[in-house]
Amino acid sequence: MKIRKRWSMMLVLSLMMATLVGCSASSNDTGNAAGDSSSKGGTAPSAGAATTKLDPVTLKIILPGDRPADMDLIIKEAEKRMADTINVKLNLVFVPWSDLAQKTQVMLASGEDVDLIFDAPWLHMEQMISAGYYEPLEDLLSKYGQDAVKVRSEQMFNANKFQGKIYALPLGNTHLAGRTYLVRKDLREKYGLPPIQTYDDLIKFAYKVKENEKDVIPLLAYGQAGQKDVSWGAFRAFMEYDPQILRSDALGQSLVLYYKNNDGKVYNLFDEMEPRVWSWIEDARKLYTDGLIHPDILALKDIDSVINSGKIAVAVYNEFGVPSSMSAAVAQNVPGAELEAVTFIQTEKGKNITNFKQANFQAIPKVSKNKERAMMFLNWTAQKENYDLLAYGIEGTHYEAVGDDQYKQIGTNYSYFPYAWIWNPTMDRLNAGFDEETIKHYKFNKDANNLTTSILTGFSFDPSPVINEISLYNATEDKYYSALFDGAADPNETWAKFKKEGEANAKKIQIELQKQIDAFLASK
Amino acid sequence: MGMVREIVKNKYLYVLSLPGLLFLLIFAYLPMAGHLIAFKRYRLSDGIWGSEWVGFDNFKFFFMGSDWYKVTFNTIFLNGLFIVCGLGMALLLAILLNEIQKVVFKKIAQSFIFMPYFISWLVVSMMVFAFLNTTDGILNRTLAANGLDPKNWYLMPEVWPAILTVIYVWKFAGYYSIIFLAAITGISGEYYESAKIDGATRFQQIIHITIPLIRNVLIVLALLGVGRIFYGDFGMIYGIVGDTAPLYPTTDVIDTYSYRALRQLGDFSKSSAVILYQSVMGLVTILIFNAIAKKIDKDSSLF
Repeated sequence: MKIRKRWSMMLVLSLMMATLVGCSASSNDTGNAAGDSSSKGGTAPSAGAATTKLDPVTLKIILPGDRPADMDLIIKEAEKRMADTINVKLNLVFVPWSDLAQKTQVMLASGEDVDLIFDAPWLHMEQMISAGYYEPLEDLLSKYGQDAVKVRSEQMFNANKFQGKIYALPLGNTHLAGRTYLVRKDLREKYGLPPIQTYDDLIKFAYKVKENEKDVIPLLAYGQAGQKDVSWGAFRAFMEYDPQILRSDALGQSLVLYYKNNDGKVYNLFDEMEPRVWSWIEDARKLYTDGLIHPDILALKDIDSVINSGKIAVAVYNEFGVPSSMSAAVAQNVPGAELEAVTFIQTEKGKNITNFKQANFQAIPKVSKNKERAMMFLNWTAQKENYDLLAYGIEGTHYEAVGDDQYKQIGTNYSYFPYAWIWNPTMDRLNAGFDEETIKHYKFNKDANNLTTSILTGFSFDPSPVINEISLYNATEDKYYSALFDGAADPNETWAKFKKEGEANAKKIQIELQKQIDAFLASK
Repeated sequence: MGMVREIVKNKYLYVLSLPGLLFLLIFAYLPMAGHLIAFKRYRLSDGIWGSEWVGFDNFKFFFMGSDWYKVTFNTIFLNGLFIVCGLGMALLLAILLNEIQKVVFKKIAQSFIFMPYFISWLVVSMMVFAFLNTTDGILNRTLAANGLDPKNWYLMPEVWPAILTVIYVWKFAGYYSIIFLAAITGISGEYYESAKIDGATRFQQIIHITIPLIRNVLIVLALLGVGRIFYGDFGMIYGIVGDTAPLYPTTDVIDTYSYRALRQLGDFSKSSAVILYQSVMGLVTILIFNAIAKKIDKDSSLF
């Protein structure tokens, strides 16, 4: 008995030793391999590669959303067009929006062989960059990406640098992100209300619906912790002026730290409650207790499908205009139902402040073995006919071109997602199905001169000095923020708890952010 | 010397254990070295050894805040409920199933209680939502139909430990009951026969024969559960509760808390620090409970 016990102890010990040795060797290997591949990427020659035929290479591209039904048709056509030049095959991997943050992070962290990946500041762009997952693109852009550079304004590149470098290709068709309330037009007309002009009109309409429509829930926004910027009360920040309350670079979705007046200062709601923000919170509470806001708002995971069901009178939405997929779905689920886009964002020159930061990016991970080819592909997508193919599908089958800058979608087999990988303001066509107002907004915001340039344009926040505080603060904020701004909890009580737990960390983040901003402004 | 003789003497038995040992080596011992990165600022591009040593810095984020003892308590409390109610219910089911005389009915009943084990947490979460939501949830409709006030369950954290326990029992009791049933089947029929001759009732047979004889299995299963008591079942809790903030006070466990705190950071070192904390605490608890089990009954302890 005794012998066996000692023997098993020995066995365990030797196993542990073997483990340590084995792992040290293998991790050294991987370290070297990573180093090798990145240095290969940097020094690879042949600038004229795009003109001669290259070996076929399959690019693995990570995109958000659902795979369109006819994706394979478009891939086939694209591969045919590329066969004689850059000879790229496409392996597109679609990740559902709800899993995006987690899955892409695991892909990167595990070193999965990915050549192009979608990322965004509202996702985890800064963190992934500071964790060292992405390749800086300057060299690749100048060697293989001339067209991709040409179709984007210089402002767009300058404003979207991270820690002074271009780590990803900015994707955008406008300089100001659109925000919209999707409104059931048929219901509004049914009650004889004029087109909605103000927030008060909107709420009046919602009460009308509450009184008369038993099966329709008047208001819907987002309530899960990952979507705090589109909670009912916080969403109003996008549409109110004098002064505009802008979210900070340190806490992307939160209003707790904010900018106003374009003065380079970081304000903190815990220091002093902004009366307007408080009025949004109280308004949301009233709407919730009056039964206007969806009672399950904090538990709903898939908002789009709830909107699509047609049982919602007003929903918040992150673009200008009604997306064709939604208006089709609503019309199908509730005969006669129709959505219209209502926004209170103003089109007055200089009214909106922007830092020209785009919301979507494509990055090339350090682990990619085909960095040059990935850039060549991005460059290839910046040619009009290729852009049209990838953005809208096959002409005649999936879309109909309307002039040079508009299109009409045919069917639903190739849904719109250029924002995820190729978007640029030069090539993009507008949906001809949009209403006049929406098209006006898009055109207005395409011109950088119509917007006031934020003095923080080009600034990016390095979170590493306060990383512990940010993670702790996030965990605290997730507990209270959505409940507060969607009106599901008592404002005074919730705010007191939120403040008690979050104040210290928010303060440290604020101080660090202010320090970095001051350094940035001093160096300008 | 004794070691070599022992190996030579029982070499075939040791060969038999090789695949198992290899499995443990690869999946349990090798990854242990990964705990190293809990003490480093790990960056993929620098590799494990190239990354900077930072001592206990990574543990700060978890222990600096005020939430860590709450989520630790939730983890232990929920897992405690799961272990006690899950095993208790399984034991009860196994005994009841064992008493059924009609084979066909027994098999059918067994299949039915086993079935939920195969349903994924995601599907369970949708079922729970369909059951509990405010607008057209089954439960609230039933309440309304009976003249009671519908409740917004997703705003009532106090009831969720119970809800989660019910779900857990529903999903796993069938699975564990099969293990108990196997143990019960192994009990020799002679015990029952002699008990019957002595005039024991069925109930007395259960109390004095069945339960004492499967006590070992019960203790081993409980110990295995206790060993993982510091791990919240992430698939279950995140699947069902998700990001529904009002429920955090009673349902937030170590795993979901760190997931939310770290999900935007992509920081492997900090998550490793949390895992190390869970592992060490798990090890301590299992040592304690094993010692207790040894005191009560020498044969039923794990080691």
